[in-house]
Amino acid sequence: MKLVTITTAFALAGNAAFAAEKTLDIGVSDALTGGAAVYGLPQANAVQMAAEEINAAGGINVGDDSYMLNVIAYDDQANPTEASNAVRKLLDRDGVKFILGFCCSGATGAVASFIEYEDAVMLVGNAAERSITTREIPNLTRTRPPADYTGAAAGTFVAEKGHERVAVLGALDVGFYASYVDAFEKELNAAGGEIISRESFGLTDRDMTPQLTKIREQNPDAILVAGYVEPAAFIYRQAVELGIDVPRYGFTSGSEEQFLRVANSEQMEGVWDLRPTELTLLSASENGIAYHANYSERFGIAPSPSSPYAYDQTYALKDAIEAAGTVEDTEAVAAALRDLPVPDEVVMQYLPVDGKMFDQNGQAYTANGAFQWQDGNWVFVQELPSDAAAYSDFLSTID
Amino acid sequence: MIEILQQIINGMAIGGVYVLIALGLTTVFGILGIAHFAHGSVSMFGGYLTFFLMTSQGLPLAVAIIIALATGFVLGMLIELLAYRPVRGASHINAFIVALGLTMMVEGLNLQFFGHEQVVIPTDFNRVFDIGGVTIPELRLYVILAAALLIAAMTIFVEKTKTGQAIRAVAENRDAAILMGVNVNTIPLVVFAISTMLGVCAGIMVGALFAIAPGIGEGLVIKGFAVLILGGLGSIPGAVIGGLVLGITEALAAGFLSSAYKDVIAFVVMITVLLVRPQGLMGTAR
Amino acid sequence: MTLKPTHALWIAAFIGFALLPQFIAVKYYLHLSILALIWVIAAQGQNLIQGYTGYVSIVQAGFIGIGAYSTALMGLHFDLPVWLTILLAPFVTAAFAVGVGYPSLRVKGHYFAIVTLAFNLVIFIVLMNWHSLTQGEAGITGILKPGSPDGWLNWRDRETYYYFVLIVAALMTGLAALIVRSRIGRILIAIRQNEDLVGAIGISAWKYKLFAFVTSAMFAGLAGAIYAHYQSFINPEIFGVAQSLDAILAVIIGGSGTIAGPVIGAFFVVFLPEYLRFADSFRLIIYGLVLVLATIFMPRGIVGVVTSLADWLRRRRS
Repeated sequence: MKLVTITTAFALAGNAAFAAEKTLDIGVSDALTGGAAVYGLPQANAVQMAAEEINAAGGINVGDDSYMLNVIAYDDQANPTEASNAVRKLLDRDGVKFILGFCCSGATGAVASFIEYEDAVMLVGNAAERSITTREIPNLTRTRPPADYTGAAAGTFVAEKGHERVAVLGALDVGFYASYVDAFEKELNAAGGEIISRESFGLTDRDMTPQLTKIREQNPDAILVAGYVEPAAFIYRQAVELGIDVPRYGFTSGSEEQFLRVANSEQMEGVWDLRPTELTLLSASENGIAYHANYSERFGIAPSPSSPYAYDQTYALKDAIEAAGTVEDTEAVAAALRDLPVPDEVVMQYLPVDGKMFDQNGQAYTANGAFQWQDGNWVFVQELPSDAAAYSDFLSTID
Repeated sequence: MIEILQQIINGMAIGGVYVLIALGLTTVFGILGIAHFAHGSVSMFGGYLTFFLMTSQGLPLAVAIIIALATGFVLGMLIELLAYRPVRGASHINAFIVALGLTMMVEGLNLQFFGHEQVVIPTDFNRVFDIGGVTIPELRLYVILAAALLIAAMTIFVEKTKTGQAIRAVAENRDAAILMGVNVNTIPLVVFAISTMLGVCAGIMVGALFAIAPGIGEGLVIKGFAVLILGGLGSIPGAVIGGLVLGITEALAAGFLSSAYKDVIAFVVMITVLLVRPQGLMGTAR
Repeated sequence: MTLKPTHALWIAAFIGFALLPQFIAVKYYLHLSILALIWVIAAQGQNLIQGYTGYVSIVQAGFIGIGAYSTALMGLHFDLPVWLTILLAPFVTAAFAVGVGYPSLRVKGHYFAIVTLAFNLVIFIVLMNWHSLTQGEAGITGILKPGSPDGWLNWRDRETYYYFVLIVAALMTGLAALIVRSRIGRILIAIRQNEDLVGAIGISAWKYKLFAFVTSAMFAGLAGAIYAHYQSFINPEIFGVAQSLDAILAVIIGGSGTIAGPVIGAFFVVFLPEYLRFADSFRLIIYGLVLVLATIFMPRGIVGVVTSLADWLRRRRS
């Protein structure tokens, strides 16, 4: 099963019994094809599923009207020009005011650079580049926290484990991985540890033995891997093959299946993943477990761990529209989003700031967790010490 | 000392892959004058196919490899017949544009049939040999040996067999070859068939040792051309030395300099060679 | 210069383009038209080196990128006005083009193409990794529009920008026409047809090739600068090899070695993906197939087909 045609599938599902009510078109701009589709397509699917659930429960209520959601999704291929085109099409041609999705930073940044001049609300999902929520854009919110928020928590955790010489192997050309490592380093240094080297790898690299050999010579007491799951799996395997024996900490996300394709379970044993507490079955809330079951049934494949960022966006949008009492006034809806308490139906476990889901930058914060590979599964071991309020203040100081 | 040795061993496996890709390219480029840019994507198709045969059809590795090679043989001939032969008489730009178009098509087809997630060809070779502190995984060793075998086979074919000699004749002097009775319509077919089979071997090695994913083919073919330029066009020893040099240099540079710009090395090498010695290490001066 | 039928066609085309915004109901297509006009500039450049000189270069998108980043960074760091940075960008690009052209032009044909492709990758990798300069993958945001916020032209309005780009594209097309009809152009064509002969009659082909290469890069740099100020956001993603292939496609489909070809090709390359939306997953395959078939059956592009048709009609009448 490769690609789901979102609009046709939804047309079949949604329109049958609800022809009498009003329709609200909402848009999704995401990477539906290409290398980033592994992040983008599940988000688009999640929005559709949320929309169907909302419709089945009666739609969005504004005054006396009920609005049924109709999802229009366009593929941006994680490319900034395509994303701008997709969003302009949604705004100009399709008359859409609410746009969700946005898995990938480059494309999202391009849209964020003009969205504040448009009559629209933009809800960002998986894109982790910090600057997206530092520009004080009133009609933009993001459910996924910036990477450095998690990096700081990870640094504290690793320092508490007693490590003092950490070697880093990361996709350092990518802003958010680099910012994770920087925040990590700050906390590590504060506890007296240091990063002894920073090596890079790219999205299409599969042979990291040169970098690992160099690291092996430096005798670290721990390794941090921060980057994409597909090459990272090779790093974990090749580290074992080179005889490297120290604890491996990571910021990669990725399902068991993605890792087992490359390494066997013994090679993965003991690897840590220090990341937002995304959707992992063993640590999920009731909503999470239900989401996992429903998504698997609806789409024939398990949901990706980061797909709930988009699912949660949809419910946040619903609550905001109902609170603002309008589907036309985007400024009111944007303001309502900033004022929202965490909706009941969300899957990710958010840490509210001042009782609200999004802080004054439009940024939401999830809990951060330490996961460890034990016997073929990612097991949630403990929460990472994260201070959402302090980070939120810090974020406001950045330009 | 161990570190340097380890890096050299590290670089030899990917170096072997580069050599095979370069051999596939140099056969077509040297004999037919076509920069077969799609070679990387076609090679990846071979790897994808092997994976598919093993996982979906349950075939053992050896059988899957044989089928993939046979498919490569036929595919190579089809590519020559349908894509390159129609532009044989026209300017060389046209052949290159066709190559680019073919690359897009094959990448698109790979994406359609095999999806966007990476695939790894499963093997049972999991041991790791440790020789005095230098580690070498079993699979990596086999890849290096297989590459060496293929290079030897290719050399024998070109030097000793009748077809091989006919191919060299066409390369050196096409008109004289025609006069001597060599069939110049079959030769391109054979050349492409062989080149594609070499590519499929490279694809299988990449798939087993690393992974096959969208975009990897294009990266490999560019490295392949870098090896071609480094080693000298049309020279098998050149391709071998060039490929190993590139692979090992990349590993040493990533290990001792910077890993961020590792890929740039191939390009810097290419550009430097063109500036200093355009015929490559083993090529004859023009 | 006598007024030939082709000149009338050009004037009519320009008037058509000038009136276009009045006929476009949906603002989105105006956005696409602006992108297409920007591509016209880049494609005219590509045509100079590929169509006229016969050297297929795969680095045009890299030069577009250099132009875009030059104007953005000059504005950011030196506080220069937008019109100045747009003017300077092509010259910055030219400097890089000399560095790229020097080794590349030492070889011909396929080698040349591969080497330029390698340079495109180098440009891309550097743009991605040199964070302190380019901010890497995150890109540069908030690039200013030309003019001042309270000037008499509203540069945020898409129509204003459209006319600006239209004028620049028309000027650059005119410049390209001037170059190819001059002695330089004739030598370039001679190089394409038989480079050894050109050397044999005592002309240093090298100088002319370098001129064509650097000029084509300057066209690209200008296109990049205009793009940067239109989108207000740039990142390395769109300056990679795939976009260079678009430039090649535009020239081939439109008509290699003609002045009208790149204009048609640019619109083709921008609008075709829109109409292929239904088959997103097949897009790559269709693109490749179009390229292969066009090269085999339509080597002179759309302009070639149209001129053949016109000739055929003329012969039938006489």
